Amino acid sequence: MGLESPARPTLPVAPRDLLRINMGPQHPSTHGVLRLELDLDGEIVARCRPVIGYLHTGIEKTAENLTYLQAVTVTDRMDYLNPLGNNLAYALSVEKLFNCEIPERAVIARVLLAELTRINSHLVWIGTSALDLGAQSVFLYAMREREVLLDLFEEMSGARMMTSFIRPGGLAGDLTPAWIAGTRKFLDSLPGNIDDYESLLTDNPLFKERMIGVGVLRAEDAIGLGVSGPMLRASGVDHDLRKAHPYSGYERFDFKVPVASNGDCYDRYLVRVAEMRESIKICLQALDMLPEGPVRTSDRKVMPPPRSEFQGSMEALIHHFKLYTEGMKPPAGEAYVPVEAPRGELGFYIVSDGSGKPVRVHERAPSFSNLQALPLMAEGGLVADLIAIIASVDPIMGEVDR
Amino acid sequence: MTCSERLVSLCPGSEAGVSADGIAFVRVPAEQVPVAALQLAGELGYGRFIDLTVVDDPGRPDRFEIVYLFYSMTERLWFRLKARTEERVESITRNHPGANWYEREAFDLFGVIFEGHPNLHRLLLPTDWKGHPMRRDEPLNPEPVDFTATRGIHGT
Repeated sequence: MGLESPARPTLPVAPRDLLRINMGPQHPSTHGVLRLELDLDGEIVARCRPVIGYLHTGIEKTAENLTYLQAVTVTDRMDYLNPLGNNLAYALSVEKLFNCEIPERAVIARVLLAELTRINSHLVWIGTSALDLGAQSVFLYAMREREVLLDLFEEMSGARMMTSFIRPGGLAGDLTPAWIAGTRKFLDSLPGNIDDYESLLTDNPLFKERMIGVGVLRAEDAIGLGVSGPMLRASGVDHDLRKAHPYSGYERFDFKVPVASNGDCYDRYLVRVAEMRESIKICLQALDMLPEGPVRTSDRKVMPPPRSEFQGSMEALIHHFKLYTEGMKPPAGEAYVPVEAPRGELGFYIVSDGSGKPVRVHERAPSFSNLQALPLMAEGGLVADLIAIIASVDPIMGEVDR
Repeated sequence: MTCSERLVSLCPGSEAGVSADGIAFVRVPAEQVPVAALQLAGELGYGRFIDLTVVDDPGRPDRFEIVYLFYSMTERLWFRLKARTEERVESITRNHPGANWYEREAFDLFGVIFEGHPNLHRLLLPTDWKGHPMRRDEPLNPEPVDFTATRGIHGT
């Protein structure tokens, strides 16, 4: 049994009558460099075989040759629409090895940042998937809002996308009152903007025609293939790691997990749009809850001491010196602390031998598992529907290929 | 009887434990992997395949440790299965179709052979690539850059 040839009714034509075409890797609707080898029977996709690896840059190998702090920068580049979520998953795994306490302000700020990146990621998804189906204006509107978000990230960390802001032990810096005010303004304007996108898409007959009943993924297939995130929930499985295994204080937030039942492209669209609205709710609660205080752990084996301690404490100087020459050294062991990323279960499996560099950094990428379900959804359907299906999977090739 | 206890009783020579992240694991002999995978997919309820990766230690006999991660939708728990091997292990794609690409990736990057895999070809690297770069004894940057000035030195 193979994924490439799942059990389907055999077609009434011999394989030699099929037309083989390559879709991608340079195809605008493959959202990166995904190549699909398609065998077409007229307009019907008889066989679909994803070919990946065009963006393989050996990120895991690179991370194993960096210190634990330096490796944060390569996690940004895996899922490049969700850099803060990747940072968070990586930081949680390293912190699990240290078993260190994170100050309250950093915990809440991490939730805020993770949800802002979820909005960022879903904005790109709604824009590009609407664009693939011909709704150009939605793309422009979504990019307009995303621009504000990227400006906020830039103000916060100095980088628009590769922020590396969440680190083992806390945050790289503090959130300023001006930044918080700007974020609140953005969040206040966003629900109206999402209403605008929805008025263009949700009841649009052309959009519904392309989405409803297309690319159906049944719940048992989704579970068996390890599909996660909005794709799993659109198939009717109520599973969200923020609720099932709350991390970083998610149990204190009041939000719903949108679930649909049909498992088609339209349901995945509805789930993601509803998720954006829930994320806004979480962000606003986080802004209200955000306490004053430090954003870095006081565990000196993880984060260096503040400069003010150098004057009076030899110990502080030694900690500083050790951290900057050898890096943090988690106790030997292994840890995997997954988070609910915009695409699903994202976790870093980190193995430490007690030295300053990780023995193994493996990213469990949600897109990788989700993309495996593509043949199952595409085969037997129209080739034109493939565009809608890929868009609804929302794969990020950066984390598929790593 | 917990999942770990059940697997230890089924697979002779295995050992159980709990990792730093609180996830229970069982290390089984490599030849017991199909039995364990079948049990996990079946009555134990860990049918949702999450992850597979390899941890390499060239200094150890049976250098590759295959680390499988499963999730139970009823218990809402992860479970880790480990097996050490020198080169080959039975594929689990028959019971866990989600492992297909993960096994191909492990074959591609580490050179572990998964017997019985339906399509064990390189996944991420080009088909004509030589070697398995994620092995710990593979150097980070083996290919010298081809500058004309250094051609005499590296002999490209």
